[in-house]
Amino acid sequence: MSVTKSEVLRLQASEDIVRVRQAVRAWMVERGFSLVDQTKMVTAASELARNAVDHGGGGTMRMEALVDGGRRGIRLVFEDHGPGIPDMALAMQDGFSTGGGLGLGLGGAKRLVNEFAIHSQPGEGTRIAVTRWR
Amino acid sequence: MRDFLAGTSRSRVTLGFSPSETASFVFSLKQPLFARLREELAKDAAALAEEMWAATVLLDKLGLHTTEVFQQGREEVIKRQQLELLELSTPVVKIWEGILVLPLIGTLDSARTQVVMENLLQNIVDTGSDIAIIDITGVPTVDTLVAQHLLKTVSAAKLMGAQCIISGIRPQIAQTMVHLGVAFGDVVTKASLFDALAFAFRQIGVVISKQQTRS
Amino acid sequence: MDRIPILKLGDFLLVTIQVDMHDRLVMTLQDDLTARVVQDKATGVLIDISSLEMVDSFIGRMLGNIAAMTRALGAEAVVVGMRPAVAITIVELGLSLHDVRTALNVDKGMEMLRTLVEAPAGEDGHERHEK
Repeated sequence: MSVTKSEVLRLQASEDIVRVRQAVRAWMVERGFSLVDQTKMVTAASELARNAVDHGGGGTMRMEALVDGGRRGIRLVFEDHGPGIPDMALAMQDGFSTGGGLGLGLGGAKRLVNEFAIHSQPGEGTRIAVTRWR
Repeated sequence: MRDFLAGTSRSRVTLGFSPSETASFVFSLKQPLFARLREELAKDAAALAEEMWAATVLLDKLGLHTTEVFQQGREEVIKRQQLELLELSTPVVKIWEGILVLPLIGTLDSARTQVVMENLLQNIVDTGSDIAIIDITGVPTVDTLVAQHLLKTVSAAKLMGAQCIISGIRPQIAQTMVHLGVAFGDVVTKASLFDALAFAFRQIGVVISKQQTRS
Repeated sequence: MDRIPILKLGDFLLVTIQVDMHDRLVMTLQDDLTARVVQDKATGVLIDISSLEMVDSFIGRMLGNIAAMTRALGAEAVVVGMRPAVAITIVELGLSLHDVRTALNVDKGMEMLRTLVEAPAGEDGHERHEK
């Protein structure tokens, strides 16, 4: 598997979340993903970017175009140096309905992508990598 | 250079050349190229050998590139045709103002079901329909994945402001669903398309009455 | 500061969201809309999201909040024009919008508002049946 293109976007303010959405959409369109796949990835990116900005104290998103054998993919790596996630099980739970709360929506974001990898330690920050394949 | 070759490869395909012919065209450049190299480096055998090898490697790569492009093109044609076939085999029928029917026939697999469902939802928007009936009378078995797609489609339609009901659920399918723990919850399901249609008419406020025949 | 325009259509308010909203714009819309409901004594609010290519949990919560707030102010809210790709994604995401009324397009949304607003005088406003 190889990375054929890569770009890093900063995640500091809410305007950056919009920029992330647009960048991910553009790459997905360029790589020929279906409309539904595009929407799922952009939505997942929006959720994860917001987490980094709101809970992670800001960070970065690295966007990578992947090629693995015959298939093409896009990977997004969200990284922040925030407080980390103390209770992973809780964070992966769905908690959208009333807003606020501890539900970080990671479970939902996971369902929108093909591959989901998370690494987080309290005090060390969080790193989440999500991938969608065509 | 790659783009030029890709363009050449594609235009030659439309002209009816086989990929080997196009690649051969690239390889044929070797002869004049080697002849030229021999001329220029006649005095230096080592350099000549090196340049000839470099030229060979380069031309081989370029020739292979044309076949790769050809292959990619073929794959895209196949994908497109598959999609078209899918659309043809699962037509969405506007059976009445505001009511759509999608009669599914044959075995459903996860991928096919997804495409069909997305198509149905777009159809609902395009026709401004209030109700879509997914009829699975012609589907022998439904596995959990397919059932989940059906249910997700029902939920998505509801979110959009339309109603999706499922008809043609045979006793065996109903049993399988229950055994698999699939929760139908507040999804409206009917045993027959007939019942589903009657329900749909009621929902949109249409009453069918028989004309009085003159005696 | 950019704002999303709110149009008055008789007793109803129409909001057409056409831009990719950043979080602050979302909050501003919530505030503006509730203020206008009171100011214009609106009985219904129509939110047209047919241009939205994506609805994430933040925007979803906004829609839920707007629905709840307008109801508290004695009006009704209907969200119209949700795109299929967006609906499919929301279902997958697990976002619950069960307290938000939706309609396929502006026409149907208006129809729905009219029916809701003309409801019998007995309705007290906070016990609503599922749509």
